[in-house]
Amino acid sequence: MYQPLLANRYLRSRIIPLIAVAAVALCVGLVIIVVSVMSGFLDMLLNSGRTLMGDVIIRYADPGIPHYDLLIEEIESRPEALAATPVVESFGLLKLPYGNRTEGVQVWGIEPASFGQVVDFKDSLVWTEAPPEVRKFADEMNGLEIPVFEKLPRLDPESDDDDPGVILGVEIDSAAKVRRMDGSYEVKAPAFWMPFRDVEITLIPISTSGALEKPDNRRFDVTNEFQSGVYQIDSRRAMIGLETGQRMLGLEAAPIYDTRLLDETGELERIGTYPARVQMILVRAADGVSPEQLRDSVNLAYSAFAAKIDDEGAMTIRPPDEAFVGIRTWREQLRDLIGPVEKERELMRILFSIVYLVCAGLVLSIFWSIVHEKTRDIGILRAIGASRPGVLGVFLAYGLVIGLVGAFLGALLGWSVVVNINSIHEAMGEPAPDWTWITAFALAAVMLLTAIHAGLRGGMLRTLLSIVGALILAGVGTALVLHRGFLMWDPAVYYFNSIPNQVDWSSAILTMAGAIVFSVLGAAIPAAKAADTDPVKALRYE
Amino acid sequence: MNASNDKTSAHATDEPVLVASGLRKTYRMGRVPVQVLKDASIEIRSGEWVAILGASGSGKSTLLHLLGGLDRPDPDGGMIRFEGRRVSDFGGAELNGYRNRSVGFVFQFYHLLPELSVLENAMLPCLVPNRWFSATLPLLAALIGGGVGAVVGSTFGVDILPTADAPTPSKIALLALTCGVLGAAIGVVIFQLGQILAERTRLRHGPQAANSRHTLEEFGLGHRLRHRPSQLSGGERQRTAIARALASEPSILMADEPTGNLDATTGREILDLLKKRHDAGLTIVMVTHDPTVAEYADRVVQLEDGRVVESTV
Ligand SMILES: Nc1ncnc2c1ncn2[C@@H]1O[C@H](COP(=O)(O)OP(=O)(O)O)[C@@H](O)[C@H]1O
Ligand SMILES: [Mg+2]
Repeated sequence: MYQPLLANRYLRSRIIPLIAVAAVALCVGLVIIVVSVMSGFLDMLLNSGRTLMGDVIIRYADPGIPHYDLLIEEIESRPEALAATPVVESFGLLKLPYGNRTEGVQVWGIEPASFGQVVDFKDSLVWTEAPPEVRKFADEMNGLEIPVFEKLPRLDPESDDDDPGVILGVEIDSAAKVRRMDGSYEVKAPAFWMPFRDVEITLIPISTSGALEKPDNRRFDVTNEFQSGVYQIDSRRAMIGLETGQRMLGLEAAPIYDTRLLDETGELERIGTYPARVQMILVRAADGVSPEQLRDSVNLAYSAFAAKIDDEGAMTIRPPDEAFVGIRTWREQLRDLIGPVEKERELMRILFSIVYLVCAGLVLSIFWSIVHEKTRDIGILRAIGASRPGVLGVFLAYGLVIGLVGAFLGALLGWSVVVNINSIHEAMGEPAPDWTWITAFALAAVMLLTAIHAGLRGGMLRTLLSIVGALILAGVGTALVLHRGFLMWDPAVYYFNSIPNQVDWSSAILTMAGAIVFSVLGAAIPAAKAADTDPVKALRYE
Repeated sequence: MNASNDKTSAHATDEPVLVASGLRKTYRMGRVPVQVLKDASIEIRSGEWVAILGASGSGKSTLLHLLGGLDRPDPDGGMIRFEGRRVSDFGGAELNGYRNRSVGFVFQFYHLLPELSVLENAMLPCLVPNRWFSATLPLLAALIGGGVGAVVGSTFGVDILPTADAPTPSKIALLALTCGVLGAAIGVVIFQLGQILAERTRLRHGPQAANSRHTLEEFGLGHRLRHRPSQLSGGERQRTAIARALASEPSILMADEPTGNLDATTGREILDLLKKRHDAGLTIVMVTHDPTVAEYADRVVQLEDGRVVESTV
C-alpha cells in the first residue's frame, strides 16, 4: 500500500499543507467562538427565565382555577414533581413614591414559602442588607429605621392594620440606583431607596361573568427588589402576597346565595361557597425529570383532579375543562422571549455557514492547486498500474489529515478564546500596557534593520517580508498606543455580569465534522479528475 | 550497421509475446484530425530486443504507449495481443495489471516521483496493486471509528447540547452523525499512522525492497538509496527509472528514447545496462530516433508515414 506513504510525504514536503491546515483551523475556531457566545447568551437568558417560572406552568385566565390546593396536592403526589405553587396574575398600576410616576405593571400574587421551592426566588432578591451609603444616610437622618431583610419575605399582612408587602422588579425604579460593573447596585439617592418607601398598587378585578368591577387601590411596603436578569421581567413585574392579590382581584373564597329565595329575615340564603381561585400554578420537576416529562405528568394530574371534583356533587364549582387549560413547559411559555434570541442565533449560524462556505471554497482552491501540481505524479502512478480508486486514496488521506488536524487545532483555538473571553475582554477594556507598544515598535525597528540589511545584500524575498513585517508591527504599536480601553460588553447595559464562556460543543463538533468533509471533498474532486485522465495525457502535462 | 539482423539473440524464440496489427491513432488538433499511426503492425518475440527507429514526430511514442496499454488506438483501429489476449479488450483491473506486471515502461524524462526516495521509487510498482485489504481495512477503520463516534455522540449528545436547544431526536441524530464523521476520520487517520509505522520496515527490508535494492546496487546506485530524485544526475535518474520498470519482473521492457536526454557517454552506460539485462533474457522494445542507439537492438524497424517497415539499413 502506497497511499499512506505518499500522503505522508506530500503532507511533509511543502508549506502549502500548513497553509491549508491554518485556513481550516481559523475557520473552525471563528465559528466555534461566535456560536458558543451566542448559545451561552441564550442559555443564560433561559436559565434566568426558568428561575422565575419553574419547569411547567398551568395557566387559566380569569376566572381562574378553583380548588387549586387539591390540584397542587394531586401534582405533588406524583414522583415527577418536586413542588408546586399557586400564583395570581393581573395587570395593575403602580404609583412610585417620587415624581408622581405611575407605571403599568404585571402583578403576581405569590405564596413566598412554596414559591421559593419552585423557583430560585431567594437568590433573585437584590438586598440582603442595607448598603453602606444607605446606612450612612440613615445615621444622618438619625433614627430612620433600616429594614431587616428576611430570607422569606412576608408579603401578606398579619393583621388588617399592617400594610401588605411588595417585591418590585429591580428595573422598575431605575432612578435611585445605578448598576455597577460587577452587577451589584449603588444607591445614588438613599432617600428614595425602595425598601424605605411605600408604593400604591391599583388592581381591577374581573367578575366571574367577565365584567370589570370597581378598582381596588392599596398601599404596599416595599419589602425587597428582585432581579431575574431578564429586562422585560425586571422592569415590569411586582410581587405581592397571594391572599392580598386574591382579595384585590375578587378571587378569594366567597359564599354563594340563591338570589330567588329570600328568607323571612329578608336575607339571602347561603347555598354554597365559591372557592378561591388562581390563574397559574408553577411546578418544579424532580431531579433528572425533563420539563416535557413533567408536563405530561401534570396533564394526567389535571385529569385526575378534574375527575375527582366532578364526583363531589351538583353544587360544586367545577374546574375548567382540560382542553382550555394551558399546561406548558417554561420553554413553551417563554417562546416570545426565547424566539428572537433563537432566531438571532439561527441567523448567526446561517451567516456563519456562509463564512463556512467561503472557507470551504478556500480549502477547495488550495487543494485544487496542490492536486493540479500533482497531475504528473498521478499520471506516473496510473502508468505503472495504480487503479483510479487507489490514486484517489492518496488524496483522500491527504485531505483527511489536513481536515482533521485543522479541525482539532481550530477547536483548540476556539476553546482557548472562549474560556478566556472574559480576561481577553477585560484586557481590551484597559489601555494597553506600555511594554506592549514599546515591544511592537522595537520589533518594527529590528525588522526595518533586517530589511535594509537584506536589501543591501540583494535578497528580494527577505527585504519584502521584512518591510511588510515592520509596517505591520508599527501599525500594531500605533494601535496599542492609541487604544484607550473599550468595553463591548457593558454589564450596565447587557444583563449578565460576564460574557458566556462555555464552548457549545454540539456546534463545535458539527463545525469540525464539516471542516473534515470539505477538506476531503476539496482534495478528492480534483484528484478524481486527474485519475480519470489517461496517463499519457497526464504525463504530457508540463 | 548492416549487421543488426545477424545479432539475433539466442534467447529469441519464434513465439511472439506481443502482436499489434493495423494500429490506427488519430489526434485532433482543434478540428483538424491528424492521423499519426495509419496501419502500424509489429510483432515482438520473447527475448528479442527490437528498436523502433523514426524521425521526431513520426509517432514512435504514440505506438509505444499503445503497446504498453497507456493509451488506446482509435475505435476499430487495429488490435494488440499480449500472450494471446486482446489488450484492447482489457477492463480497468486487467489493464492496471497489464501496466503493472506485464510491461515495464521507461520514459525519456524519467518520470520519478519527487517526494519518494530512490529505493521507494524503484519498488513502487510492487506497492501499487490493490490487495483485498487496501480498501477494506481503511473502510473498516472508518466504520469502527464512525460507530464508536456515533455511539458516543448519541450517549453524551444530550449533555453537550446547550440548554436552549430542546433535545429533539433529530438533533441527537445529527449529533450522533457528526460524531460519527469525526470518529471515522480519526479511525482512518489512526489506521494510516499505524500502517505507515508497520510498513516502514517492510519498505526498507521486505523482499521487494531487497529485490529493488539489489537491482539498484547492480546499477551502481547502492549509495543513493535514500536520496531524492532531485539529488541525482540524469543518468542516475534514468537508471532508477529502469530499476522501477524492472521491479515487477515484467515480460517486456518498453523504453521510449531512454537515452534521449543524456549525453553520449551516459547514454552508452544506460544501453550497456539494458544489454546486460537483455543477455539475461529480457525482452525489450525501444524507441529512438538515433541509429547508433538502435544498433544495440537485435532487430530494427522503422516507423515511416504511420506504418512500420522492416529496416533496410
Ligand atoms: N495528445 C496529443 N494531441 C495532439 N497531438 C499529439 C498528441 N500526442 C502526440 N501528438 C502528435 O502526434 C505526433 C506524434 O507524436 P509522438 O508519438 O510523440 O512522436 P515521436 O515520439 O515519434 O516524436 C506529433 O506530431 C505530435 O504532435
Ligand atoms: Mg517521443
